[in-house]
This record gives sequence, structure tokens and C-alpha cells, in this order.
Amino acid sequence: MTAVLTSRPADTPGVRRPLLTPRRRRRTYPGERTLRIGVVGALLAFNLVLLVVPIGIAAVGSFHRWNPLNGTFDYLGLQNYVTLVTDPVFWRATINTGVFGVVVIAARVALGLAVAYAIFSRLTRWKSFFRMVFYMPVVAPLVAVAYVWRLMYQPQAGAINTFLGLDVNWLMNSTWALPAVMLMTIWKDFGYAVVLFLAGLYSLPDNALEAAAVDGASTWQRFRWIVLPLLRPMTLFVVVTSILAYLQTFVQVLVLTKGGPGTATYLLSYLIYDKAFVTYDFGYASAIAFVLMTATVLLTIVSFGITGGWRGIRR
Amino acid sequence: MKRRITAVVLHVGLLGAAAVTIFPFVWMLLSAFKSNAEIKALHQTLLPKQWTFENFLKVQDNFDFLRLFGNSVLLSTVITAIVIYTSCLAGFVLAKYEFRGRGLLFGFVLATMMVPWAVTIIPRYTMFSAAGLQGTWASLIIPAAFSGFGIFLMRQSMDGVSDSLLEAARIDGASEIHIFHRIVLPMSTNAISALAIFQFLWVWEDYLWPYLMINSDELQVLAVGLTTFSGRYTTDHGGLFAATTISILPVVAVYVIFQRRFIAGAASAAVKG
Repeated sequence: MTAVLTSRPADTPGVRRPLLTPRRRRRTYPGERTLRIGVVGALLAFNLVLLVVPIGIAAVGSFHRWNPLNGTFDYLGLQNYVTLVTDPVFWRATINTGVFGVVVIAARVALGLAVAYAIFSRLTRWKSFFRMVFYMPVVAPLVAVAYVWRLMYQPQAGAINTFLGLDVNWLMNSTWALPAVMLMTIWKDFGYAVVLFLAGLYSLPDNALEAAAVDGASTWQRFRWIVLPLLRPMTLFVVVTSILAYLQTFVQVLVLTKGGPGTATYLLSYLIYDKAFVTYDFGYASAIAFVLMTATVLLTIVSFGITGGWRGIRR
Repeated sequence: MKRRITAVVLHVGLLGAAAVTIFPFVWMLLSAFKSNAEIKALHQTLLPKQWTFENFLKVQDNFDFLRLFGNSVLLSTVITAIVIYTSCLAGFVLAKYEFRGRGLLFGFVLATMMVPWAVTIIPRYTMFSAAGLQGTWASLIIPAAFSGFGIFLMRQSMDGVSDSLLEAARIDGASEIHIFHRIVLPMSTNAISALAIFQFLWVWEDYLWPYLMINSDELQVLAVGLTTFSGRYTTDHGGLFAATTISILPVVAVYVIFQRRFIAGAASAAVKG
């Protein structure tokens, strides 16, 4: 089992290869030009048509009253962005997205680390079994899983109330609806962090841990002062991919609560879906989408700044 | 003695967490074999009191889930095959050829991964509708043809293929496309299988785009079919359990059989980042 994860020591996060191989030659091989130009051309054309142009259209559209059903496309100037700043649902969705992101990411990292470290322990048996189980929700398709959880959250015959002896109408209660969506997301995603942290743990240098043990460091001290800093690049990876994912979360909201009760579980991406494909207010939805994209880029840069980039510490 | 206690605590904790993790699957599977009356009964049991297969049969009569299932399998396979090939080609070019703007192009590919779906989906929707592609699988396949993640993964993997090996093949007179197909591709099977797994699952669970593009039951995919079913038969919980089982169980079964590959793939995608 460990062989699979550790067979490529050069790929461990702490020891980074240069991003691109250094320049060695300038010679062009026969046939290279055609292949290269074909592939690069296709790649650029694809992204031009399906990414760059759409972003441009969305940018322009965000300054318009844009409804495809009745064909309106009227210039509004900054009106959509003004509406956005004064829209309580937008702020509610922003706060919800923030709370959702912070809680789920914290839980994902904490649970992932704890479970991975427990599996990693020399005292633990059935390692591959545990790893297999915790990763299972990650591969299960999201829409179907969300329906299972919706049935589990049912107030009368749902599994959660039944087997925990509770009486909460989880998805209809404005206090509990968002935590319910978060709990489902944590359950679905924490296994990914477990597998990543395990891979990180197996790529740690044995001698660092052994030396610390010889020096009389306690289990906690070893974890806090050796394992945790060495896992920093992996933690950053988990955090950044989680930020990208959770700013875009919408399926579980759609299936579990449709944003309700009231606006209690509106997340930004769900709000965009709602504005775009329920009320067909494409212009306003595009404006929110741009705010979301800006937030994505800024948050990614900030987390790189805080944790010191992929390289983390060198060894 | 202390080690003994630690070991017991570790195992109890892990087993507890494993039970919680696996519980929704078990509950779903067992509930799919309960009658609707039993599912809604006041007194709930984990195991069905009376095992029944009726949910699966009824769901299939009302709603052609086998067709949706077949559609999802076919579509996921086609898109995955295309993405693997385009990712390998682009990964090969980016890893093994030197040309002006290569670093910039690779940076651009990475940047494409950061664009939220919410930004591009509205213009794409208008573009594909205007092009008359709505209601065809082309609308699902075209936007998935190139994958930033796939190119990134394959470039990282192919960067490790030794240049001298390629040089040797060139001296033997192998063409570039031959080298790509006969040397580089076979050497990248680990990365390819990682990409295949991810890509297949992404297509399998993709919801919004097929929901927007496909309007006929004949061409629809399983993820959208589930929501249609749930909206149409709101009280048929037994049917919903059966339908979610049809959607989840095959994926989980394949995962359990190939779990090592799945997990190694998941880890490699990160470790190479």
C-alpha cells in the first residue's frame, strides 16, 4: 500500500521539481512543428471560444439588463452592481458562503489530518480498509448522495432523527438548514483530505520523526513541531482546492434546501444559478458571477501568501 | 500498557468514524428494499421487515432509469476518452517541446482551472442555444474536449519521461506522432488512469450543464434524471432510494474493486502539484 504512495520520492510536495524543464536545446525536430502548432492552435482556439469569449460576454452582459426569454439586452451602466451592493439576498449569500467555506474547510482539514494521522500510526491495523472506507463518499456521485441526505434529514422517518432520537426539521429550520448542508458536504469531502494527508505523511523523511523520538519528544510535540510544518504544502493544497470548490458549491443546496427556508442557505453560486436559470436575469447573475470570480482569485492569492507558497519549508 | 490503550482508542475512534461514513450508503441500500409504507412508518428499523424488490421494478416502469444509466455510461466514456487523448497530446507538447510562450501557455492552462462555472455558463448557454446545439450530445461533449486539469496532470507526468529515450527513438527514425503514441503514451498509464477516474466521475455527477442543454428523456443523463424523478414523484421515497442506489452503487462497486488505483491517482494529482 505504501509503495504506491511513496514510490516517487521526487514528487513529494516538499521537494519541488522546477516547474518547467530548463532550456537545453533550440532544435526543432521534423514533424514537431505540425504537431505543436496543431495542438497549441486547437487548445487556444478552444479556450478562446469557450472561455475567453464567454468571460467577455459575461463582462459586457453584467452592464446590461439581459433576459433571453423576452430578448432584452439594454445598457444599464453600473446598475446591476449597484443593485448587488444593496441586495440583502446577495449579502446573505456572501455571509453564508463565508461561513460555509470556513467551517467546511476547517472541518475538512482537521478531520482529514486527525484521521490520516490515526491511520498512519504504527499501532493501527487494517490501514487500507480504513482508507478505502473514508474515501468512499468522495467517489459517490453528488446529486444522488444529496438525495440520500435529504431523505436522512426527513423530520419523521429520516435516519438522523430516528437513530439519534432527535426531533428537528433540519432542512426547514432556518437555524439548522445551513449546518445540515455543511454536514453533508463535510461527510462527502473529508476523505479526500484523509488520502492527501496520508500521502503527505508517507512521504515524510523517517529520520526526522525518529530523531525527534530519540530526543524524547512526545507524540503531540512530534506532531505539532515536525509533522505539521512538513505537511504545510499539502495543507495549502487542500485549502486552495477547497476554496475553489466551495465558492462554487450549488448542487447540495439545490437538492437539499433550494436556498431556503427563506434565504437561510443561499450560497453565492446557488444565487447565481437562481438568478440566471430560474428568473432568467442574466445580467444581474453575470454581475454576481464576476464578484465571485474576483473573490476566488483574491482568496487563492491570499492563501498562497499566508502559507508561503507550494514550497512551504525546504528540507 | 499505555501503547495498548492508545491502540484501542485509535481503533475504536477509526471504527466509529468508518461506521458513520458508511452509514448513509447502508441505509440507502437497505431502504431501497423496503416498501413505501415501511419507509414512512413511525417505528423505524434499519433492516427491512419485509424485503421487496418492488421499488426497483416500479421505478423502471415509471421512469426509464436503465436508459439514463446507459446514457451516463456512454457519455462519460466518450468524454473521458476524448479528454485523455487531448490532455496527453497537450501535455506532451508542453512537456517535451521548447517553444516561445510555452511557460505562458502552461500558466494560462492553470488559470483556466480557476474560472468558476458561474461566469462562463450563462454565455455558453446563449452560445450553444444560438448554434442550435441544444438537445444534442454535441453540446455536452464539445465544452469538455479540453481539460485544464487533465493537461496539467499529463504535463507533470510526461515531464518525467527521459529526453534521451525520445532522442534514441528519433535517431531510429521514429516520427514525432509515433513517439507520442508508442513511447510517451504507454509510459504515462498511471497518470492516465488517475485522469480517467476523475474525469469519468466528473461527467457522471455533472448536473447543471446537461440539465440546461438536454431536454429529451431519451438523451438525458442519470444525475438530471434523478431530480426530474424526485420532482415528479415527490412522495415515492422508495422509488427515490432505488434510483439513488442505481446511481451510486455501480460507482462505489467499481471503486471498491479498483480502490488502490483510485487512491493513488487522487494522491498523485495533489503530490505533483
